[in-house]
Amino acid sequence: MKPLARAAFPSNFSVVPSGTVFLMVASLLAHPSLLGKPGPAPQQMQKLTASAIQLERSDPPEDLLIPEDTRVATYENVILQLTKTKKFQHVYRSGDRTAASVPDLVVLRLIPEAFKAGSQKQREVTTVTGATSIKVKIQFASRDGKVLREKTVEGKVRFYGENLRATYDLAKKVAAVVNETF
Amino acid sequence: MRTRSAQCNRVMSSKQRKIARRSLQLAAVVVVFVATAGSAFSQQLATPQASQSTSVPHVKCVIGLENIKANVKGTLSLLPNGLEFVTDKNKVDISTASIQDIFTGQESRQDVSGPAGTVAKAGIPYGGGRIVSLFSHNVEVLTVEYVDSNGGFHGTVFVLSPGKATVLKNQLVAQGAKVTNHLQPPAQEQKP
Repeated sequence: MKPLARAAFPSNFSVVPSGTVFLMVASLLAHPSLLGKPGPAPQQMQKLTASAIQLERSDPPEDLLIPEDTRVATYENVILQLTKTKKFQHVYRSGDRTAASVPDLVVLRLIPEAFKAGSQKQREVTTVTGATSIKVKIQFASRDGKVLREKTVEGKVRFYGENLRATYDLAKKVAAVVNETF
Repeated sequence: MRTRSAQCNRVMSSKQRKIARRSLQLAAVVVVFVATAGSAFSQQLATPQASQSTSVPHVKCVIGLENIKANVKGTLSLLPNGLEFVTDKNKVDISTASIQDIFTGQESRQDVSGPAGTVAKAGIPYGGGRIVSLFSHNVEVLTVEYVDSNGGFHGTVFVLSPGKATVLKNQLVAQGAKVTNHLQPPAQEQKP
């Protein structure tokens, strides 16, 4: 009796490479841009340019009560983080008269949208409850009031740290948005 | 008889002189004691008022003062023309005329906190760190909003022992600092 030269079913060693090739071809067909064909370009934000920025204070809506120490800490933390980005020659505070002479000034407004006062004790005892969060809408505007860009960010403190640490977290996120915008 | 009466007179006069001397000495001692005690008493009465009204040590500046790092402790003093915060390295003044608003609030702080405290609590076995987290103390927060010479807005947050912030606020208001009426958020939770 003559033995079979080949097995009735292909072995794994032959299935795996052929399957890999098949998947690669399929993925290339699914993404024609990878083959060099022009696909729809990803939407990229055009970066803004400005030599100076002024941080304005914005009052929260009447139904939203935010403690004044939280508002002040948010403002001061954002000023510090804006300075740290080194994107601007000068960071002006709200009401600064010397900002009037800057031609390409960008005005940054932080519009409070939500606030949840947590508790450090509750956080440290339960781990899962007592988080403090503050949500603001960041609005970049030109001097004449035209809104250039908007984004909503949220600062939180979930596990350890005082409640005002949420303002530090928020300021870091604002700085990240500034970095990707300018 | 005359000689006896004369001797009696001499004895009486010497006794009277002694009594007079002792009474004078006693009166002098009383006068000195009263004067000393009075001045000491007045100092005792005046000293707490002065320390309450002019200088509060161990105040934490959370944020907002130029050239002073966040969460630095120092002495907050009330000057005739405003506030002064002094640390080991720096000194910052806030004039009364520049103050736009003052807020006070009650909060609580953990007795064991900070990075070292957190590590220590995490090291206690069987969740004992959570028990330690239950211990806290009340503090008072003083928020001062002011403007610089260019009109730029500044705000600073101080954490003081209970009662001190209200005293400072009242004295600043008496000096002429601006204060507006504001709504306070409901004190649902003490905010550490």
